[in-house]
Amino acid sequence: MLETIGPLESAAKAAFYVVAAGTLAGAWAAVSARNLFRAALGLAVALFGVAILYLFLEAEFLAVVQILVYVGAILTLLVFGVMLTARIADPSVPRWNGQAWGGLAVAAVLGLGLAHLLFHAPWLAPVDAAPAALPELGKTLLSTYLLPFEVLSLLLLGALVGAVFIARKDPE
Amino acid sequence: MIIPLSHMLVVSAGLFALGIFGALTRRNAIGILMAIELILNSANLNLIAFGRARGDVGGETQVVALIVIGIAAAGAVVGLALVLAIFRHRQTISADEIKLLKG
Repeated sequence: MLETIGPLESAAKAAFYVVAAGTLAGAWAAVSARNLFRAALGLAVALFGVAILYLFLEAEFLAVVQILVYVGAILTLLVFGVMLTARIADPSVPRWNGQAWGGLAVAAVLGLGLAHLLFHAPWLAPVDAAPAALPELGKTLLSTYLLPFEVLSLLLLGALVGAVFIARKDPE
Repeated sequence: MIIPLSHMLVVSAGLFALGIFGALTRRNAIGILMAIELILNSANLNLIAFGRARGDVGGETQVVALIVIGIAAAGAVVGLALVLAIFRHRQTISADEIKLLKG
């Protein structure tokens, strides 16, 4: 932690709170919008906001991957699913099931409880370390964690084949 | 790190609570999938925040987060394939109406 706070730093802090508020607003839209397409747009805002939060944490590579995989791939897939299945323009379809208040209570207890814990738990003090450099990250990914990396590629292959098998037309 | 650790964690907790709310209350199965993506994102954000605060020289936490992102992608793909298959057979993806196994 630096002793003095320059104007650039306070600007960065203000930007953080704006991005955090935007992320949470997008997440709220994603779980509450009546029109599922708008929910997908809210999810896009939330995922993009998380990518910017990764930049605040100096994890640049992860921010790029977040945008490529989540905003670029998963969200496109979800929008495809919405357009193929849901009656998105029908306002008579209720957005929540009968457990809306119970779900809200569970979420509120979880969120507020976690926030309370976060501010009162005796965390270890942050260490003043440099962020992981990209070459180091690449070395770690392809040496120490090579096996999980390869298992992940097998998992993705299996998911690809399985998804094609499940979603294909039934042979009559 | 300019941002205090606890502030980042509060954002992550908020994302998690919203995701839980969506997963519990959404009627549309794709809505439930979206909420699950939110939960996975909040877990990743939490992990990266802790890694950054406690010193992560080799980038281990980022590697774990990358693997989580990959698994989330696989989960979303299979989940959507299941949703499409259910829609083809039953013409609905409302989680309330899919109760084939209910006695």
